[in-house]
Amino acid sequence: MAPDINPDRGGAGTPLLEARRLTRHFPLGGGAVVRAVDGVDFTVMKGETLGVVGESGCGKSTTARVVMQLIPQDKGEMLFDGEIVGSAALTLKAYRRQAQMVFQDSYASLNPRLTIEDSVAFGPTVHGVSKPAAILKARELLTKVGLDPARFAARYPHELSGGQRQRVNIARALALGPRLVILDEAVSALDKSVEAQVLNLLADLREEFGLTYIFISHDLNVVRFISDRVMVMYLGEVVEIGPVDELYDDPRHPYTRALLSAMPSMDPDNRTMEAPLAGDPPNPINPPDGCRFHPRCPHAQTVCAKAKPALVRTGEGQREAACHMEVAGSGHSRAPRLEDAA
Amino acid sequence: MSAPLVSMENVTVRFRGAQVVHAVNGVSLTLEPGKVLGILGESGSGKSVTLKTLLRLLPESRTDIGGTVAVDGRDVLALNPQDLADYRGGVASMIFQDPMLALDPVYTIGEQIAEAIVRHEKIGRKAAMARALELLELVRIPSPERRLKAYPHEMSGGMRQRAMIALALAARPKLLLADEPTTALDATVQIQILLLLRQLQRDLGMGVIFVTHDIGVAVEVSDRLAVMYAGQIVETGTVRELIADPRHPYTRGLLAANLHGARKGERLEAIPGAPPALTEPPTSCSFAPRCKHAQERCRAALPPAVALGEGRVVRCILAEPSLAAA
Amino acid sequence: MSAITSPAAPAVVVPPLAKSPGYWAGVWRRFKSDKVAVAAGCVVLAIILMAIFADYVAPADPTRSSMLRRLRPIGTPGYPLGADELGRDMLSRLIHGARLSLFMGVVPVFIAFVVGSLIGVSAGFFGGAFNTVTMRTVDVFYAFPSVLLAIALSGALGAGITNSLISLTIVFIPPIARIAESVTTQVRSMDYVEAARASGAGSGTIIRVHVLGNVLGPIFVYATSLISVSMILASGLSFLGLGTKPPTPEWGLMLNTLRTAIYVQPWVAALPGVAIFITSISFNLLSDGLRSAMDVKG
Repeated sequence: MAPDINPDRGGAGTPLLEARRLTRHFPLGGGAVVRAVDGVDFTVMKGETLGVVGESGCGKSTTARVVMQLIPQDKGEMLFDGEIVGSAALTLKAYRRQAQMVFQDSYASLNPRLTIEDSVAFGPTVHGVSKPAAILKARELLTKVGLDPARFAARYPHELSGGQRQRVNIARALALGPRLVILDEAVSALDKSVEAQVLNLLADLREEFGLTYIFISHDLNVVRFISDRVMVMYLGEVVEIGPVDELYDDPRHPYTRALLSAMPSMDPDNRTMEAPLAGDPPNPINPPDGCRFHPRCPHAQTVCAKAKPALVRTGEGQREAACHMEVAGSGHSRAPRLEDAA
Repeated sequence: MSAPLVSMENVTVRFRGAQVVHAVNGVSLTLEPGKVLGILGESGSGKSVTLKTLLRLLPESRTDIGGTVAVDGRDVLALNPQDLADYRGGVASMIFQDPMLALDPVYTIGEQIAEAIVRHEKIGRKAAMARALELLELVRIPSPERRLKAYPHEMSGGMRQRAMIALALAARPKLLLADEPTTALDATVQIQILLLLRQLQRDLGMGVIFVTHDIGVAVEVSDRLAVMYAGQIVETGTVRELIADPRHPYTRGLLAANLHGARKGERLEAIPGAPPALTEPPTSCSFAPRCKHAQERCRAALPPAVALGEGRVVRCILAEPSLAAA
Repeated sequence: MSAITSPAAPAVVVPPLAKSPGYWAGVWRRFKSDKVAVAAGCVVLAIILMAIFADYVAPADPTRSSMLRRLRPIGTPGYPLGADELGRDMLSRLIHGARLSLFMGVVPVFIAFVVGSLIGVSAGFFGGAFNTVTMRTVDVFYAFPSVLLAIALSGALGAGITNSLISLTIVFIPPIARIAESVTTQVRSMDYVEAARASGAGSGTIIRVHVLGNVLGPIFVYATSLISVSMILASGLSFLGLGTKPPTPEWGLMLNTLRTAIYVQPWVAALPGVAIFITSISFNLLSDGLRSAMDVKG
């Protein structure tokens, strides 16, 4: 069904989504501004999974909501399969058939007064599918997510477990035949044993429907398992983005390194001895000038407080990091020398 | 060997109400002084209820508690109200997942800690405030003099957690009960709190029972682990034993689900199904409906508690052959 | 090609499923187990039936007076609850009076429920400046004590049933709109509303499918609790001579006219008050029961 209503235009190997300088600020009054998302650039290729990690206040959830156009961006634009989202070529309503979202709270994201088949069927009816056809489609999807319609379709959300409800939410997101699914902490509230089931399901569905995922999570183990590429955010900005193994095995940005070494060790003989960072992540109200990480960075030098590092290609692979230590001639003593780079 | 600090014998907890819930079904555990026991389990496994039983925090009118609970030589279930008040905070105290709920929003951090000290010790207000300052230094809150006069909402999440730990330590307890104290924290803050707890435990020689759903967190802080499922401890042992050689199928499933070292593209060995509802006390292995090794025996009777060594117990028939071999 | 892409395909047959007990079944089950609420519900039902079938239930004509039998005590043969100051049968008057009293209790609240919900839900859903303007206007009315407002409006409009009806309706719109607004604001921020918006649904569809179903229940329960207030206010207006006119039986008016007899036949004089009390407390208990029965958790 997906190829019929949501056809691929650019062909395989082209980006499905390109975010260019996406920015979203929330004024607080009194002149304070929450710079939730501040000039974020990223690309999601067709069929890949982009993991997004970061701590509270890093802007990952706001990014998800802007990508989903639940809140509009202040600046910047998004291209979906080559078309600008919200333009005449790709209206918002048409875009919403192609991009869907699964939320963290499985209970709050289902209408308590609707049976689960009605919840799943709601999206298609909005787009002009007849109610009976939408219900049939809903039951088909419920089967796909592992919920037998004969047992579950007529139930209400409170009669289901958290894992089952999240399966319903996934079915609901798939009901419009989307190509991009944003999973915002979609497995975070689930128990570990149930989380594994849902991760397997997500992998199967990606295969079957040729889906592209943006997978937002605070759990670095889960992100490593499911993602092809990973984007690390800090205070509304992208600090590092690249292929998952490259990024996990050899992080270039000091914040990525800190985040990874803050993961609890699974080896009782080799416990973590030192916390990589002191204090809490600052909030994104009036963030520091220059590199936003510099007040907490163990390698910070004068240049870091003055100039904002750009996101640049670094290392041999496909990685980009925003750190003065990676830019030749940046003025940081640990940056590669210009003649070496040349 | 010294007398255990905590000794729970065959403890059962049942909640009455519209629907009876058998939350804890025969838990026995011991904790030596100065050791850390991690209780690992998922939501509804009874791990938090077990912890609250140790402090008698469960609503007495709706709860039936069976078995014996002894902490530092006291029969906790038999304490009269006066002794209970002395016991809470003085012998055992607790830290919670959400410090915003545990700290009083209308008093400063200093007032709250001083109040807790005065309640347990006969010292003046001023001396108590001085102790409160020491405690804030102990939990390494930056600029403690200033924080003494701060209200909970004026602090960041990690700082509040430190303040709550200081409050819990106010009356020098011998036993610290930690109920998922790092679950709501960001990764880089979580590790700071874990390291702090580890150090405080060592420096003060406290016994700690640390409840968590996160294996990695449990490994970071614990000497021994107890894995709970459906209100029972299904496996106990040292951290090393449990991580390197898990015997219960549920423990194995949990370890696999942690995804540590899982490779991309692999299928996860997920435990199917969901935990039981606990409306009836268990008469057979509670995990059998989800277990791929389940046999007729598992569904017929409660599994045996197979003791594999000193403090190493597995409630599963799969552990029996290795016992015979040994 | 699936059915979705070809709407013209022959009629799709959806196999029916065994419906799960569902929301309302759960509400009914919880309500049934609440003995106080069930008892209150029975009393309310009895009063309503009594009012509807007053002509058949009442033993005598409520307007037939008899100068010889004025102010008879309770238990007089032929006058089970005594007679009033004009010798009319109290029981019959109370039964017939239930009609107007219930009418004055229910109708203003119902109209206010419709209008107030409309105002509150739209203010809550659309938010922003629209919300501010609407709710501040509502607050102006809300600031007056309800009794004062009702008296002032009735006084300005003049005595009579219709005018009392209008003034009571105006009194009840602000509190209902307030509740509707706060419930809607809560529902609007739920993830399922976001999800519906992400499916491309417009505001109208979202309100119809996702908002109304979740807000009307709580608003309705709140409104039922106002029925007793409305009855008492209506009685108060009649008592002040701003509502019903004699000889129509109405509890508030009866209380007013019997006032003078309070030293002669105190029990008879108190009867309309007792009727008002029983009815309003029954409505209150009923709405309390409904509120807890409709509270679905877990």
